[in-house]
Amino acid sequence: MLLSIEPDGPVPIYQQIRDRIVEAIAAGQLPAGSGLPATRQLAVDLGVNFHTVNKGYDLLRQEGLLRIGRKSGAVVARDGASGPPDPAWERDWAARLHTLLAEASAQGLDPAAVIRQAQATVAEFGTEAGDTAAGGLL
Amino acid sequence: MTPAVVFGYAIVPLLGAAVTAGPAITRPTVQFGVRVPPEYTGSPVVKQTRSAFIWRTAVIAVIATAVTFATWGHGSWWLARVFLGCELVADLVCYQLARRRLRAVKTSEAWFAGQRQTVVADTSWRTDPLRFPLEWLAPAVAVIVATVVVRATAGHPPARAVLAGYGAVVAQVWVTGLWTGLLLAVYRSRPELDTADPARSLQRYRALLGTITRAAYVFLTLIDAGLLLAGLRQWRVLGPGGVPIWLPVLPFAAGLAFFLVVWFRAGRTWVTAGGRRGGADRDDDRFWKGGLIYVNSGDPALMVGARFGIGWTLNFGNRAAWVLVVCILGIPIGLIVLRFAAGL
Repeated sequence: MLLSIEPDGPVPIYQQIRDRIVEAIAAGQLPAGSGLPATRQLAVDLGVNFHTVNKGYDLLRQEGLLRIGRKSGAVVARDGASGPPDPAWERDWAARLHTLLAEASAQGLDPAAVIRQAQATVAEFGTEAGDTAAGGLL
Repeated sequence: MTPAVVFGYAIVPLLGAAVTAGPAITRPTVQFGVRVPPEYTGSPVVKQTRSAFIWRTAVIAVIATAVTFATWGHGSWWLARVFLGCELVADLVCYQLARRRLRAVKTSEAWFAGQRQTVVADTSWRTDPLRFPLEWLAPAVAVIVATVVVRATAGHPPARAVLAGYGAVVAQVWVTGLWTGLLLAVYRSRPELDTADPARSLQRYRALLGTITRAAYVFLTLIDAGLLLAGLRQWRVLGPGGVPIWLPVLPFAAGLAFFLVVWFRAGRTWVTAGGRRGGADRDDDRFWKGGLIYVNSGDPALMVGARFGIGWTLNFGNRAAWVLVVCILGIPIGLIVLRFAAGL
């Protein structure tokens, strides 16, 4: 998996690390059970502080996407084929989506364009779960 | 005239050739310590600066070599070292001139304005690491063992100089250990990825590292063989005049020539296959002092890719780098001090 970040960008680096890994899981590049580099190794490869990577991994662990063990290291815990997500997570995600759609509405984005964009993004990930979600949106 | 003195003369043209060839094995996106976006790598100012550097350093190399060999046999052995120092300073001045020119144009034309500066990591470098070719260390170890056996059967050294009696073995172990340690550190360091095409550049980097490691071990084995021959001469195993003075230098010279050819060819292949489209690397010039020394305390890496030519350098913003330098230099300096102390 290629992990690309913008160290001088506006988004915190740990958030970028977390986002890129989520995208890789959604795109099928990191199926459940895939190993990720140790935090110190990834910190060296990205030229960032070890705590920054640790923070990104910890976010993923809290979201249930990553399992971190002493011996096994960081392993992807679930992907699109692992069944429905935790209801609490779904509520949290719906709240974040609400804010995101509010932003689109506040900026005057055409609702049809929002749906088209959502469909295109879900198609990009190409999972069955994604297709269902796109159908739900329509 | 000793082998060390001969080497002192030979290194003058060697340094000149290495510096003049440097730009040919330097990544296009890093020129004279200045980070260049992919679309500017072929710009006229970059081409002119490279050309001027190559001409200047070639002229310096020719003059330094001519002066050094003209004084062969005249004056003391250190005269060649003085010319070597002058050549090095002149080359550094050329490098800084080239760097200053590129930086000025880069700033005035705002090369990185509006560019998305990214850092890319390929997780497969860690999850599927490149295997260290440890079997290539075996010939060097065999030569060391042979040296120990020869020394042990050659009779006991004087009681006062036990360590000096095994000087060749100590040097072999130090060189072999140092090379292996540094190569292992390189295998653990981050790969130099081309942001424009990271996946393929990682494959090329793996090939480059494998080739350089194998060539390094061939060179190392020949260095150890040279030290064995030096030992045979010192211990008079083959009788007086059994090993001529020039013989221990031969394996070293052959190994060095082989290593430099492989290094240059592998580096050239790696550099010319680089990507030219999209994606700019992070503009990290501020961390490169003089365009050559990397000092970044925010980067946990111990070793990073060198800014000039193909190779690796230490991150002096990392305390471990200073510990490593002290360890590398401390052992030979300590041995010299011990030797002098024993002689007093």
